[in-house]
Formats: sequence, C-alpha cells, structure tokens
Amino acid sequence: MATLINQNQDGPKLPRWRRVINWLGRWPGQRDRRAVEDLLKHVHACQERGQGASAESAAGAIGWSARRAVKVIASVEALGLIRSTSKGLELTDGGTQLAVSVIRAHRLWERYLADEAGMPLTQVHAEANRREHDREGGRVDRLDAALGYPQSDPHGDPIPRADGRLAEFAGTPLMSWSSGRPARITHIEDEPASVFDQIVATGLMPGQVITVEGSTPEGLRVAFNGRKSVLAPVIAANVFVQAVPQDAAPAPARSLSSLEQGGEAVIRGFDQGLRGFHRRRLLDLGLTPGTPIRAERVSMFRDPRAYRVRGSLVALRREQADRVHIEEGSPSPSAQTGATS
Amino acid sequence: MKLDGYTPRPVADLLDQAEEARRALGEGFRDRVVESIYKDATEIAGRSVEYGERRRVDLDLLVDKVVLSPIFGLPLMIALLGLIFWATIIGANYPSQMLATGLFWVEAQGTLLFDYLGAPWWLTGFIWHGIYRGLAWVIAVMLPPMMIFFPCFTILEDLGYLPRVAFNLDWLFKKSGGHGKQALTMSMGFGCNAAGVIACRVIDSPRERLIAILTNNFVPCNGRYPTLILIAVLFVAAGFSPTAASAVAAGTVLTIVVLGVITTLIVSAALSRTVLKGEASAFTLELPSYRRPSIARIIYTSLIDRTIFVLMRAVMTAIPAGAVIWLLGNITAGGTPLATHVSDFLEPFAYQFGLDGVIILAYIIAIPANEIVVPTILMIYLGEGMMTEDISQDSLRQVLVEQHGWTMLTAVNLMLFSLLHNPCATTIITMWKETRSLRWTTLGAVGPLVIAFGVCFVVAQAARLLGWG
Repeated sequence: MATLINQNQDGPKLPRWRRVINWLGRWPGQRDRRAVEDLLKHVHACQERGQGASAESAAGAIGWSARRAVKVIASVEALGLIRSTSKGLELTDGGTQLAVSVIRAHRLWERYLADEAGMPLTQVHAEANRREHDREGGRVDRLDAALGYPQSDPHGDPIPRADGRLAEFAGTPLMSWSSGRPARITHIEDEPASVFDQIVATGLMPGQVITVEGSTPEGLRVAFNGRKSVLAPVIAANVFVQAVPQDAAPAPARSLSSLEQGGEAVIRGFDQGLRGFHRRRLLDLGLTPGTPIRAERVSMFRDPRAYRVRGSLVALRREQADRVHIEEGSPSPSAQTGATS
Repeated sequence: MKLDGYTPRPVADLLDQAEEARRALGEGFRDRVVESIYKDATEIAGRSVEYGERRRVDLDLLVDKVVLSPIFGLPLMIALLGLIFWATIIGANYPSQMLATGLFWVEAQGTLLFDYLGAPWWLTGFIWHGIYRGLAWVIAVMLPPMMIFFPCFTILEDLGYLPRVAFNLDWLFKKSGGHGKQALTMSMGFGCNAAGVIACRVIDSPRERLIAILTNNFVPCNGRYPTLILIAVLFVAAGFSPTAASAVAAGTVLTIVVLGVITTLIVSAALSRTVLKGEASAFTLELPSYRRPSIARIIYTSLIDRTIFVLMRAVMTAIPAGAVIWLLGNITAGGTPLATHVSDFLEPFAYQFGLDGVIILAYIIAIPANEIVVPTILMIYLGEGMMTEDISQDSLRQVLVEQHGWTMLTAVNLMLFSLLHNPCATTIITMWKETRSLRWTTLGAVGPLVIAFGVCFVVAQAARLLGWG
C-alpha cells in the first residue's frame, strides 16, 4: 500500500526543492495508509447500506475536516481504488478487495479483544480501529486460525473469509419486526459509539432472543433474558434481528448469581456474551449444561461466591455467575443443548 | 497428475468443503465437545468409582466454615501471616549470626592465607573484603529467613489454604482491577520478590498477571526486613521500655507492611485504569479439598525450587556489588574515599527527600541485593574500607543521630524508601524473564523508584513545613 502511495506522489517530475518541501510537509506514511483504509472502509459500509458515500459523509464518519476528506478522496481516486459516480463514491474492484481485507482484520481483532482479552464491548471497536492497519506477514490469517475461524464479530457482523468472500448481511431492523414473534439479534450497529454504549448498557447482545411486545410513543416494549424493557427508537433502529423457530425460544432463565446461599439448581447454559477464554474456562471446570450446582460459601466481601460442582468447590465472581443460566430441577445428563438463550 | 481411479480434487474445493463444515457445525461445537467429554467421564466414573463414607468432606466443610467465615477469615489470615513473619524473623536471627560468624571466619583465614602468600594488600582487600564479604553478607542475611519462610509458605500452599486467602481477598483486588490470586503472589513476595514474580504464573489472564508482576515489589522481602527492623528498633522503639520496645518495633514493621499492601492496591488500580486498561476479567478459582502436606514435596519445592534458585541469582548479583563497595571505600582522592565524595555530591539532592547522600549511595550500590544497604551505610559512616555491622545498638544510634544528623524524618523516609523503591536486580531480571518485554520491565523497575522519591519528597517537605525533622 505504501508503495502505491509513493507511486502517486512520484507522478510528475518536480524540481528537487519542491520534492524536499513536499516530503517534509507530508503526513508520515503510516497516517497516509490509515487515511486511505479508513476511507475505503467508510465507502464499503455505505455501499452495504445502499447509501451513497461522499466527502461530507466520510468527514462526518471518520472525523476529518471537509478539506482533508476531499484531499484524501482525491488521492485515493488517483490510486484507482474508488471512483466518483452520480450516486456518490464507489469502490473499484481493487478498492473492494482492500476494504474487505481491512474489515476482515477489524472484525477478527474485535472478536479477539472481546473473547480472549476480555475487553468491554464498548472499547473493542476503537482498539480494533487501531490494530486493523497492521496486516503484515499473514498475521490476520494466523489470528483467524487461533480464534477458530469465527463467523461473526462481537456485534454480529459477518467476518470476511481469507479469500475475500463476505457473507450477506442478514437481518431486519427491530423497528419493523412484528410483535409477538421471537427474534434472534443478529447485529448491533457499533457506530455511533454513544448509541452503542447505551445498547450495551441495556444488556442487549448479538445472539440473544428478543420478543417485541408492542410499541409506545417512547419506543418498543420488548422482552429479553427474562426481563422487560422499553427501547428508545434511536436504540431499536440500531438493532437487527432474524427469525427463530418458535420452539427454540427458551423460557426466561435465572442467572447463577441469583441462587440463594445453600440453594441448588441445574446449569442450563451460558450467556451468549460469555465467549472465548472465559467460556472455555468454565466448561473446563465442569460447568456443563445439565450439571447440578449448589451455592455453598460467600466471601467476606459478599463477592466472589463458592459453588459446589461435581464434588469440587469453585469460586466465581458475580460477573461470571451472572452469565451462567440455571434452572430448577433434577440433573439431566441428556440436556446437551449447547448454548442457550 | 492422475492415478488409477483417483482424481485429486483442487485444494480450493477442499477448503470450500472445510468452510461448509465449519458453518454447519456452528460456533457452539466446542461447547458440545467439552460436554460430551464430561458426559463420558461422568458415565465412566459412575460405573467404576465407589464412594465410601465421606467423613473427610464434613471435616472440610467445618474448616471452611472458619477459614472462609466473614468474621474469622480475615483475622485468621493476618494471624497466620504474622506467625510466619515472627517465626522467620526470630528463627532466622540465630542461624544468621552463626552463618555470619562462620563465613567471616573463612574471610579471616583467606586474608591470612593471602598475606602469607605475599599478595598485595589491594588484592586481598578486593577479593576477600570486597567480593567475598558481599557474598557472605547476602548469604548470611538471606538464607536462614528463606529456609524458614518458604517451607512455612509451602505448607500453607500444600494444605490448600492459600486459594482460600485468594477467595477471601478477591473483592479487594477486583476493585483494583487485579486478580484474587495476586494475594498469593504478594504473600510469596514477602519471602522474595523474585520468587513472587515467578509465582505470578498462577494468574492465567495476561493483564492481571502483569499487574501482579509490576506491583509485587511493594511488599517488603526478606532482604529488606533487616533494614526495616533495625530502623524500627533504633528510632521508633527507642523511647520505650525494653519490654514494650520489641512490640513497638514489630508494630512499626507491620505498619510498613500494611502500607505496602495498600500501595499495591492503589498502584494496581492506577495501572488497570491507565496502561493496562481493561475490565477485571474472568475469575475462576478452585478451592481444593484440604490435604495432608507431603513432606518430600515441601522440602523439594521450598528448598530446591525456591530457596536455592533465589539464592543463586542473588549470589550472582552480590559479587559485583561487593566489588564496587570495596572499590568505593578504598580508592581515595584527596585523602577521602570515593564513597565519601559521591555521597557528599548526592547530599543536596538527597536532602530534598528527607534522606542523606550516604543512604542514596547505599541504595544505588545495593540495586543488586537489598540485603547490603545497612552494612554499606555503616561502612561509609564509620569510614572503614569494608562493610560492617559489628557494632552495638547504642553506639550505632549515636553514630547516626549525633555524628550524621539522622532524625525521625530520616528514619521514616528510609523505611518508606526501602518499602517503595525499585526492585533488586534479581527481581528485575526475573521480571524480564517472565514478561520478555523491555517495556514492562522498565516500568516495573522505574515506576516504583519514581513513587518512592515522590512519597519521600512529599513527606519530607510536609514535615519540614510543620517544623518537624
């Protein structure tokens, strides 16, 4: 990529002193490349949504001044990665290829940061934005393999494959979903960040099953995770869902942390948000669905608590226990339903 | 290429097929694999394992009721830790003296041998009074406490008590962004910070592990107790009756230890909110059944794995330190030894921090091993060409207070500095080995130093403003 930019700059032969001045006043190469990739990503996102990208939309989305946006667009056009059409900016084949490779790196990093590094969902997007530009030496493919070839990023967006194939974005806006039909959240838009933070705060997560119960002037009345709440239109508009078979919609689950001292229950499954390292850890400790569990001890600060599982005593913090779903009843070794709710 | 009846398919096809399979499996298949493994294991166990009368579990429950009790848990923990400290300090005292006597006797014989062979005085001095004496000092001060502390610690570990400490204290560490097991690595640090840093391997999430590594230094190790105890006895406890004095001295050291723990929590919180940003991540901790400790294992782990290992590294770093100290004490310029020149030069700087030039110099020399701080200070003050500690407490106090103007402020700041300053070279090397990162190692070495100077500066300036010290 850097070489492409240099070729562009070498275009017409300038006098030596001009070249020195240009060189001094130039953005460092790294910044150049980031700008190009950020722009390509933006145009790609607009195309996916069927909107036209423009200098204004790029400036707004990436946080550039209008002047800088125009400058970057001009240089990227000169590179042959985008072209201006009547409907706005459009990616060329080369541009699409590069954009998809950046998106692939971005979404894989998000997956890694959320699952393995345990970074809060509200922070992964910004950090992935920093890391997506370094794709030297098959690093992204190694990350993909290490993560077990994940299909989607933590927001539910499909991750492009190594050969550049990108699964179709599947989902209907929650706003237009009919009442009473359970739906699985496929995607939560991660931009703008302020709205995304609010969505995360309400406890919504890709993979969750949600039911719209009706709409009011304040927003949508929904039920998820055994809770009822009202989503403001600005939030609901950023949540995308897909149909689930009626019988797959699970009954409301209780979390392990709500189990009273000395109480017994059976593990039903884990929260969708519990993934990667943390999920493996709990499974390795034997907290598999169908296993009986008893809340046995509580620490002097009320947290963590110790649970008896398979004869051994395991301490979990409240955050972990929150994500383990339990149900009353006898152990059922046949309850091999995998991830529920 | 074509073999009979076999048509190789293009690689792309195979990859496509793999991709299909992956998609069909879905992301939950790893869960299902673990589940089926557990299911099989449960079945096999159900068929072949018979449970007898489980009276041991009842005993476990009973012990846990006390150990993990909201009321008795914490006092019991402090009492146990206090007991180990007490046993270490008291128990190591006599062997330390014996070891010192023995090792210094060897030094005397070595000196005689060199004299007999007609070696020049500087060679004798450099080899025996410099390198050998530094070595002897470190071994004498370090070995006995470690041989008591580490086995005690290993017994608690083997019993299954330590995970319970982590369980009890986890909330505190969670609030500061760390892991409950940091309580264990911290306790290990009381024995030796280098061993504490290695112990951080038990923390399985990288972020929390780094926090534990970087803050381990804030609990004083065996090498720093002698300094703390000596100053506590000489200054803080001096005004009390002999019976009360030892209690006051012990209380002072305990206060410093508590300060260290508080600093650990504060610095952990600061790290987890700045350079090591992130949420307190997964905490899972197994609380194993109580076991009868195995003697062989205790001896092996505590003596071979820990004591010998730490001692060897300390010895490697003590040798150059001993050499430097001897050179500074014996190379003279204008009739005064180099050490005096350097400490005079450092004096105005040190004054701002409520310390003096000699203390700073001693800490610079003692970077390899904190055990030699007090001997070095005394060497310079007494104007001898070699480290010494062979002096009574009364005359020592006299030397420090009357001849060199030490005040309570100097004593307090020396203790604070000793608690907070940079880790010793052994620990720094260990940090590097554990993190393989120059950046974190630098932070771990320089960060505490900055904190130490900062705290001493504030204390000194505040004290002087109030007309004290």
